[in-house]
Amino acid sequence: MKTNLTKFVVLFCLFSLLAFGCAEAPTGFSGITCSDGILYLGSMDGKIMAVNASARSQQLHFPADGEWEYAITTTSQGGLSCGPVSTPVAIYGTPDVGGDLVFIGTYNGKVYALSTLARSQNLNFPQTRDKEWFYPKTNEVIGSVVGSPVVSDDAIYVTSSDGMVYSLDRDTGDKNWNSTVLCDKLWSTPYIEGDKLYISTFDGYLHALSADDGIITWSFAAELKIGFVSSPVVSNGVIFIGSFDRNLYAVKVESNETLWKFAGDNCFWATPLVSNNVVYASCLDNNIYAIDAGNGTQLWSFDAGSPIVVSPLLVDDSLVVVTESGNVYVINPKTGIGERIKNPENDNKPTINALVQATPCAQEGIVYIRGQDNWLYALDIKQGEVIWKFPLTTE
Amino acid sequence: MVDLWNLIILNPMLNGLVALSSVLDGSFGLAIIALTIIVRLILVPLTLKQLKSTKVLQGMQPKIQELQKKHGKSQQKLQQEMMKLYKEAGVNPLGCLWPMLVQFPAWIALYQSIMRALATTPESLLNLFEHLYPWEVVAQALPLDSHFLWLNLGVPDSTMILAIIVGGSMWVQQKMVTAPTLDPRQRSMNSMMQLMMPFMFAFFTLMFPSGLALFWAVSNVIGIVIQYLVTGWGYLGRGALPKLPIRR
Repeated sequence: MKTNLTKFVVLFCLFSLLAFGCAEAPTGFSGITCSDGILYLGSMDGKIMAVNASARSQQLHFPADGEWEYAITTTSQGGLSCGPVSTPVAIYGTPDVGGDLVFIGTYNGKVYALSTLARSQNLNFPQTRDKEWFYPKTNEVIGSVVGSPVVSDDAIYVTSSDGMVYSLDRDTGDKNWNSTVLCDKLWSTPYIEGDKLYISTFDGYLHALSADDGIITWSFAAELKIGFVSSPVVSNGVIFIGSFDRNLYAVKVESNETLWKFAGDNCFWATPLVSNNVVYASCLDNNIYAIDAGNGTQLWSFDAGSPIVVSPLLVDDSLVVVTESGNVYVINPKTGIGERIKNPENDNKPTINALVQATPCAQEGIVYIRGQDNWLYALDIKQGEVIWKFPLTTE
Repeated sequence: MVDLWNLIILNPMLNGLVALSSVLDGSFGLAIIALTIIVRLILVPLTLKQLKSTKVLQGMQPKIQELQKKHGKSQQKLQQEMMKLYKEAGVNPLGCLWPMLVQFPAWIALYQSIMRALATTPESLLNLFEHLYPWEVVAQALPLDSHFLWLNLGVPDSTMILAIIVGGSMWVQQKMVTAPTLDPRQRSMNSMMQLMMPFMFAFFTLMFPSGLALFWAVSNVIGIVIQYLVTGWGYLGRGALPKLPIRR
């Protein structure tokens, strides 16, 4: 019977180790939005934060002027013997800002509008007089929100893992409409152009939805129904989008015509950047590609030595590329020649010593990056150095 | 070490699983079943070795029970006599454990493949791309269709059906191999073991993605079939010990 007991102990230990070692809990990789010197972002511990770049460069005590943080938690039953447990939510989208309101969706299936005025005073949430709200307004949730919310004049649009797109009133959070189920789950960010929302799906469709009522006005099915992994971007009537088959597609809007496709050695996970008829596409094959938007010809490529998960940024006349390993490159967008910004403490280490999966932002020549170490980094591109860093987990 | 593990074992199995899903009409559920069958078939020689070793030990049960009766009061003497018996029969009581341990890497890889392929969170989907081969058949399967029968393979089964299947099949498998004993302490321990493992896995079924529970269920069923082919129903449904010759 000792053999049986040994078997049981070995099995139990191995299984527990495997089960709990491999089960990946969602941690989030919320990007940053820059607006009037304030950076809005979600932290790894479920907080929406407003960080004043100027105050951080002066190393003032947090929260300084214009700064605040609001922790979003979800309550669940805590297993066998524990009572209800409050846990921080995971945030993947990049906040969008409209006036005094900051909008964000969370992985536990809620959408929030936070007032910068109310949050600065640390008032109870929601302050309806400041147009704060959350949706759904009851304890119910929609599917997990992974994509970023997009704000228009009077509505915000979010996609959800329940496969639907939601249009919510910007001031009240009341639902204007929800689309039909477009896919098993929608993780992409909608792209607004005119009165249309462009949505990509994991099952290989591009849809155009009327922003007024969510009715599908156009659909495009990819070759062999290969799914789209990135969010779409529209430029000059062409949608550019990355696919699971390691191609970047250019699809003419409102037609069923694929203009061209460009093959990488891995997926184009991030949304491409389009400027001056050139598509700059980050790829998980370690390269950034410059592609002629008209015909799909490669203009140049740059090997960054590590997968690139986030979109590149155009800062002044430079293309800034941040790799997943934390290296930051400043590249000439015309020639594709670039240099790595060195780590001031150790040249052998990446520029910032953290994994980067969150979309960075740039303002006045400074690039702001949130690492998966839950620190916020500011890099001066011209000086080529990290000018400050700030822990997002505060005491 | 991790890179080597990924290169040699995990990546081939993961890509095989995704490719199978593509071949099997995009059904990830069928791919899990197919890969579990394939892996179990590859491991049949080891499984048979383990079962044969177990069978010999089971055949010795009447003798062991006799010894227990005779030397029940002196554990030291009992152990000595039992070791003598094992030696005479030419078996190692831990002999059935080694083939099982050798099979573990395959099970771990299969388990990891299923967990990775399910890619239930954005991080895990991103991570999945690092492990995939640039095959068209793999790209066509992504993202995997998580629906199979009544299950969403990426989330735990909210009905109790899969938990009952996993727990029930595990209980049957355990019951088939666990020999009855006259020693009340051992009998009580056996009963506890026979119930604890199925309950534990049934409980895990309610907590883990049902794709993983499907793998457990299929694996248990195949285990029962192999067990049946080697030892018959064994001790399931009868208290008497099988009359199996002791190898001398």
